[in-house]
Amino acid sequence: MDIRKLKENHKLLKEYKYELGKVDKGYANRTLYVNISNNTIKEKPVTDFMKDKFVGGKGFGMWYLWNAVTPTTRWNEPENEIVIAGGPVCGITQYAGTGKSLVCSLSPLTDIPIDSNVGGYFGPLLKFAGFDALEIQGKAEKDIIVYIDGNTGVVTIEEAPLEAIDGHVLGEQLTEMYADNEADKRNVAVVTAGTGAEHTRFGLLNFTFYDPRRKVTRLKQAGRGGIGTVFRDKKLKALIIKFSNVKGDLNNAFDQAIINKTGIKYHKEIHDLDSKQNNMRKIGTANIIEVMDAYDLLPVMNYQYGMHPDTQKIKSTVFIEKYITQGVQDGCWYGCSMACAKAADGFELKTGPYKGHKVTVDGPEYENAAGLGSNCGIFDPEGILELNFYCDTYGIDTISFGTATAFAMECYERGIINKEITCGMELNFGNFEAAVELLHQMSRGEGFGVTVGQGIHKMKKLFAEKYGADPDFLFDIGMEQKGLEYSEYMPKESLAQQGGYGLTNKGPQHDEAWLIFMDMVNNQIPTFEDKAEALHYFPMFRTWFGLYGLCKLPWNDIVPADNKYTSEPAKVPEHVQNYLDVVYGVTGKKLSVLDMIKESERVYNFQRIFNIRMGKGLRANDKIPYRSMGPVTAEEYESRKERYDKQLAEKIGYDPEDKTIEEKMAVMREYREDQYEKLTDAVYKRRGWNSNGVPTLEHLKYLGIDFPEVVEIVKDLQ
Amino acid sequence: MKYLAKDESKCIQCGNCEEVCSKTYFKINDRAKSCIQINERDGNPEINVCDQCGECIDICPVMAISRDKLGVVRINKKICVGCFMCVGFCSKLSMRQHDEYIEPFKCISCGLCAKQCPSEAIFMAEKDDSEALELQLDKVFSK
Amino acid sequence: MIKLNNRDFPWEEGMTVESVMRAKSFTYSRIIVKVNGQHVDQEDYSNTAINDGDEVQMIHLLAGG
Repeated sequence: MDIRKLKENHKLLKEYKYELGKVDKGYANRTLYVNISNNTIKEKPVTDFMKDKFVGGKGFGMWYLWNAVTPTTRWNEPENEIVIAGGPVCGITQYAGTGKSLVCSLSPLTDIPIDSNVGGYFGPLLKFAGFDALEIQGKAEKDIIVYIDGNTGVVTIEEAPLEAIDGHVLGEQLTEMYADNEADKRNVAVVTAGTGAEHTRFGLLNFTFYDPRRKVTRLKQAGRGGIGTVFRDKKLKALIIKFSNVKGDLNNAFDQAIINKTGIKYHKEIHDLDSKQNNMRKIGTANIIEVMDAYDLLPVMNYQYGMHPDTQKIKSTVFIEKYITQGVQDGCWYGCSMACAKAADGFELKTGPYKGHKVTVDGPEYENAAGLGSNCGIFDPEGILELNFYCDTYGIDTISFGTATAFAMECYERGIINKEITCGMELNFGNFEAAVELLHQMSRGEGFGVTVGQGIHKMKKLFAEKYGADPDFLFDIGMEQKGLEYSEYMPKESLAQQGGYGLTNKGPQHDEAWLIFMDMVNNQIPTFEDKAEALHYFPMFRTWFGLYGLCKLPWNDIVPADNKYTSEPAKVPEHVQNYLDVVYGVTGKKLSVLDMIKESERVYNFQRIFNIRMGKGLRANDKIPYRSMGPVTAEEYESRKERYDKQLAEKIGYDPEDKTIEEKMAVMREYREDQYEKLTDAVYKRRGWNSNGVPTLEHLKYLGIDFPEVVEIVKDLQ
Repeated sequence: MKYLAKDESKCIQCGNCEEVCSKTYFKINDRAKSCIQINERDGNPEINVCDQCGECIDICPVMAISRDKLGVVRINKKICVGCFMCVGFCSKLSMRQHDEYIEPFKCISCGLCAKQCPSEAIFMAEKDDSEALELQLDKVFSK
Repeated sequence: MIKLNNRDFPWEEGMTVESVMRAKSFTYSRIIVKVNGQHVDQEDYSNTAINDGDEVQMIHLLAGG
């Protein structure tokens, strides 16, 4: 459609002019607040209190959200907000992975705060336009866009009736509309959801960046927790920002030279070592598909198994050789030499409304290949790419879609649901046509796709209440916790990773701790105390990235050549020091590792208490489905019989000879569930929480977040 | 393509080339601001200067680096975002950076230093275009 | 018997770092190998013998994703 015609049909609802600012040592010192119910736009100061206690990024998001909602607010009420914030380091260009935005909102899946971390240019350009955060509250009556012109200092709210909703079309339309010419396109960044976000609870947000070589608008995703669903429920069609003249020094750093030196050292490291280590520049995170399979950790058919002979059909080299364009700069922000934002170009779609179109597919990332592929029994690279593409453009989280579809497929195969319920669909594992049709149904808002799109938590309830399924069995095999679907690793044989998934703030997502190898393979954290220490350090360390606008991958998806000679290689000490140096360079703040952990602990504990305030966040909410802890079915036991029998004999002192599988499974289950409880005790203790998972007042005092409204929530739970 | 060729065995390490380079482009005699740098390795002179191979062209996120009509690899400082990936990824360590500037700099085969070289250790030369390392994007995206 | 990552692992005649890695399907690209506390580089995996009773560590440096 003619871009001019689209624009002519915009109706201006509000225009707001602001003074352009200058970033000072990483902070713009202002937040832009937009209420789309009553079209109010205002600026709020970013206070020293906020910087001291919450740093930026996710910290700011949680703080604004806390102040916006009450314990009874739900995701689809106008009070709920979507907050987008980078962080003080966000927007430097010399170090890899420094353009992240953190998005916070109350989740339609979990009813508690969710945070999702995303690349693309929106976060950095927002800061250069003058704002550390964008806070959106309210609900519009008709589809609107919010446009921030960071060159002239104008913010507008406009009705935008004619533009597409699907991410890849809308991203292109708006980039074209707001750029002056081809060269100007990289100065425009767009946030969209998609049609699928309207009919599911796991809608995502696409954050664009313009790729000048491919000449396409690329999409990165704030995937987890259904923020895209909130976005469309607010009748937001898109957010657009424009800022020209990005340079490498716009953060007005305290000491640019330190940043330059650290960044160039890191670029050299990637140049010299990436091809010998993880091949991030060739294939991104998908490099581990075959690794996970080799170590029996790849989720196969709803996490029943950890490997499959057909994995070789979707291993990373297949994607490298046949689909993913090689040798083209693929960073999702300037200066990312890790460049893991891979893409398949000229991919011809076989199904759906864009059938026959040749498109650029952003991905596959590991999670997509595992979630859309092996976990659904789909060992077909083109099937994975097609699902990946449609998930993105429809605004659907690949992880939740993959895990929820895998659950529905297992229910279908076990006769818990039938063809009548699936509206005629044969939902067997491996059925790509069925999986992609579910997606198209989610886009159109019809059929069984809408049911799957409600997420596993809601499906379990429906299948039990309406179709008479055994709720206990569904609880065992439904891989969700707190309402959020598991991401794509098999935690069954690693107690620490069960905690890494279960003892999290937002639900089972691996961004807090990923300890499978340290625990299961390396045996580096054998005791409960060791595991608890890891489940303290790593979640706090990883939270820290989200406070500063950083990507976690450059931390440990490459390591210095001499890393192995350090005392704690898993922590990659040199890179930790790089981050402390970069933060010093930007802000002038000298941090130790302990300070770093403490900064995270503040936000982490605040978020935990936020969960409690919203009715979750206690021990009962940290329980996990047994499928993530051990074999639920006889088939699963059989598939690892040797391992399980050995464990019964050696660890539990139970002789497996002449016992039935059911007897052995029961003993195993009792043992493993008990282990998880003991782990929970140890982790709570290490984190400064009581046995119900509530932060103690003493700990809150130590962290300096014992504000009255925080204490109020936990004082009766001590 | 035009490039600055070298014969290290003839270099007498006088530093004339560094001086003329930094004076020409940064109006100061400072070898840290020279595109060509004379070092010593194992007691022998080593001349480090860009050979216009072009591998940096594909590294730049904003396509600020390109090859001009004469085959010289040049940086468009107006659009450069100062990420310095080209500095870290230059296999020959010939892309330069100085903290007083937010863009990198490199030899553009102007030949001024060659004129000042008393020992003919550096001199302008031509090499075949086939030695260019950058991707041909029209071919990459035509598949 | 040897200790592999602090767990018992049966020793065999002619065992090398490479043969243990093959037996365990340790295929990942970033593994730190130590035999009795001494680092072993990748190029030496095939010619580093493992003796009965050795303490072997094969630490996978994989904590990303």
